[in-house]
Amino acid sequence: MDISFPYHIKLCFPGNLEYIPAIRKYISELLQISNFSPKFAYRSEIIVDELCNNAVNFGCRTEDARVELECTFFNDRIEFTIKDQGGLKENVDKLRSTLDNPVPGSDSGMLPHQGMGLEIVRMLSEKLDVKIDKENLTSVHVVRRREDSALE
Amino acid sequence: MPSTLKTDIEELTATPGVVVVRFQGSLESETISDIEKVFSRVQMGSSVFAVADMSSVNLISSAALGELMGARKRLIELGGDLVLAGVILEIRTKLNLMGASKIFKMFNDVRSAINAYKWETEKKSEQVELTFPSNLKMVPAVRQLISRIARQKGYGNRDSFRIETIVDEICNNAIEHGLNDSNLNIGIKVDIDPDKIEIDVTNISDPEKMFLLKTHLKPEEHQDIHNDEKRGRGLMLIKMLTDELTFNISEQGTVVHVKKVREE
Repeated sequence: MDISFPYHIKLCFPGNLEYIPAIRKYISELLQISNFSPKFAYRSEIIVDELCNNAVNFGCRTEDARVELECTFFNDRIEFTIKDQGGLKENVDKLRSTLDNPVPGSDSGMLPHQGMGLEIVRMLSEKLDVKIDKENLTSVHVVRRREDSALE
Repeated sequence: MPSTLKTDIEELTATPGVVVVRFQGSLESETISDIEKVFSRVQMGSSVFAVADMSSVNLISSAALGELMGARKRLIELGGDLVLAGVILEIRTKLNLMGASKIFKMFNDVRSAINAYKWETEKKSEQVELTFPSNLKMVPAVRQLISRIARQKGYGNRDSFRIETIVDEICNNAIEHGLNDSNLNIGIKVDIDPDKIEIDVTNISDPEKMFLLKTHLKPEEHQDIHNDEKRGRGLMLIKMLTDELTFNISEQGTVVHVKKVREE
């Protein structure tokens, strides 16, 4: 049975870094069976890795915190949405500051190496939206479009 | 300017047996007595699994590291342990070079350390849920995902491979025996703890195939029906590999539940 686009997967996992390597590989394998190139799959893997790491490190407060990853695969792109419970106020403030000041270290109150992950995601994707609601629930939406597959 | 070190002890009411020791400042020769005092207090208490929160520590000297190792040894003798959490990247790199990462378990934050404690001592299970389109091409990636998770959680190669085989069979069955529509989803829920893994796979039942599935499940009740003998082998395989296998078949959907006890 051929894969028909668009299709959707949803994954909900504990806020624990141990799960991330398996998840990034899973997304990469789905992309490859969906006829995206290995290069596209690898770059998307990096996006998933960064988004999941951020969600676990900064968006999980409680011991039972969970992270939800949704991916929609289109013929020409993939869209990721990752949701977490929202971290401590200081982490959310740092995130807001990083979004306002994309260059790490510039008035964001972060160390030079912090905030780079989101910048990498921004570089590798076409669209990056971050929504933080009143209760600090954070949702990050990323769109990555297929490049010229013949050249990849 | 003399080195300063602030210490604080927090007993976790929600997680009995665990105590968080917070350090703020420098752990070095001048502050060794503070480290010693704080762990003496821990040893006198009832909680002997200590998580040292190092997120506000800017230096750990070799002498202080030696003191921490001594404290860990004393806690282990009492049936506990000492783990480090939130060590900043620069210090963590130095600790790795000093070989301390072979002695201390290190976690990104206190929450992760407590979760690891609960996993090991309370056998608290963790849950992963996944939905994916009902298409056979999706199955290899799904079975790899679950197998990798099992391996990451400490299961051995043989257990992980068996889990992979079980997931493969159940998901293939769910797709083959469910409604043939790739717009429909297969749901999979995995509960994993240090001793066992439980997997639930849910699909939307196809009324025309439900009867056939029942004949495979209870062939003794359907001896008048001559099915292709090659069918149903997957089910036999799952039965052999699992410790528990149950089916809940209804018009709405079929839920297959398997339990596999960790062997190695």
